Amino acid sequence: MSNNIIISASNLTLSYGNTEIIKDANFSIKKGEFIFITGPSGSGKSTLLKSMYGQIQPTSGSLIVGGVELENINNRKLRELRTHLGIIFQDYKLINEWSVKKNVILPLMIAGYSIDVQDTQAERLLKHVKLTELKDRFPLQLSGGEQQRVGVARALAKNPFLILADEPTGNLDEYSSNVIWDLMENACEQLHTTVLVVTHKIPTIFSRPYRHFIIESKGVYEVH
Amino acid sequence: MKFIKNHLTFIFPMVAILLGVEFFLVFDRTTDSYESGLKEGYSMFVVANKALELQDFQGLNKHISHAEEIHKESLARQIAHGVSQTSPEEILKALPFFYNLKLDGYLDSSELENIKEDLVKSESIKKVETFGNAYSSSYRLFSFIKFILKAFFIFMGLVSFFLIVKQMEIWKYKHKERMQIMKIFGAPLMLRSGVLFRVAIVDAMIATLLTSMVFLALKYKWAQESHVDILMQKQNLLFETTDFLILLGSSLLIVIVSVSLVVFSASEKE
Repeated sequence: MSNNIIISASNLTLSYGNTEIIKDANFSIKKGEFIFITGPSGSGKSTLLKSMYGQIQPTSGSLIVGGVELENINNRKLRELRTHLGIIFQDYKLINEWSVKKNVILPLMIAGYSIDVQDTQAERLLKHVKLTELKDRFPLQLSGGEQQRVGVARALAKNPFLILADEPTGNLDEYSSNVIWDLMENACEQLHTTVLVVTHKIPTIFSRPYRHFIIESKGVYEVH
Repeated sequence: MKFIKNHLTFIFPMVAILLGVEFFLVFDRTTDSYESGLKEGYSMFVVANKALELQDFQGLNKHISHAEEIHKESLARQIAHGVSQTSPEEILKALPFFYNLKLDGYLDSSELENIKEDLVKSESIKKVETFGNAYSSSYRLFSFIKFILKAFFIFMGLVSFFLIVKQMEIWKYKHKERMQIMKIFGAPLMLRSGVLFRVAIVDAMIATLLTSMVFLALKYKWAQESHVDILMQKQNLLFETTDFLILLGSSLLIVIVSVSLVVFSASEKE
């Protein structure tokens, strides 16, 4: 496998119990690519994404993310892999008892960075997502768009090699959605972070030359 | 307000459990002291044909811990005083040997009967008086009070245990989402559960302090001012330094077990 390949799936099958969701998927994604995965509701988009951060183990076949094989991966290796990923969720998954700033530094806390580094990085990221003024507020005091910007800042906190976004604009209006797309595009273009977005919306940036996979009838197909 | 309520929902059942533990410790000490008083105050009366030593009695029954011969001289003098023709020495020779026997514990009446049977088997022993009726009624009352109080502590412990289980459900609901989010970002178990452990350990310490303060107040204020003889005499039994360590140890053990159960069940359900 080339060093440039960040995600590689080979005959990948994913199931919930006895129900196959994805069957014999084959694809690979290179470093710095921006990828869309679309498909109808219930087609398995989120399942595929979850398998990439080890929330679901492959039933058969192989899935390699950042050089780590995810079949039968042990907890320690999985934790290690997750600290190098940025994950964005449709429902934001922020910790409501924590301030915006503390939510943003979560990946840095987990990685054991010093308080000074956490503070500096948090200030930089909050400025980047234009939330400096709101850093001491709690997630439930923010709008949906603002919460998702916190989610993006958290995903970028540790300069991940891969950002996995599950319907990141699913709950947002057009303006907020565009802000989120811009933030993810910037990460891809400026930091060469690979960004993989699962969505059922056809976003405006679709006009750009990003690779696009569609999930249909359990298969994962690239759209040319 | 919500913060205080969240803590009190754990502190209250924990205090209830610790009060039960401390009451049990105090009760155990008090009954031990009362039991040793009863044991000291009780003795069997034995009439023997010849002089016997403690080893002779212990050879007949192992529960006999002390044998004291009753001096017959004054008895002989009193008898001689009524019977003018007989000298006290002659009466003394004619009298059998009398003993008070003490036992190694506070035994029930059937065990007293067994001791009596063992003693009368010996040809040297003519008569044994156990004073069984008086002994048996004190023993029954003592055992009944002991049983009722123990049953009450167990009941109190059970109710408090269910309150703790309820609190564990609340913790699970409250912390599950945070722990799941942290897990997704690669946090190890100790980091995910650290907050919960810290909160619960602080609550356990507060509960230990509250319980200790209640008993210290009982010991140094209430017992002194109560003018109840038994409380004033046994005041030192109400709270001892080691009790604080036992309470702290119990509360930390309960916390560690409860939080671990919550953490592992939250991890399994992800």
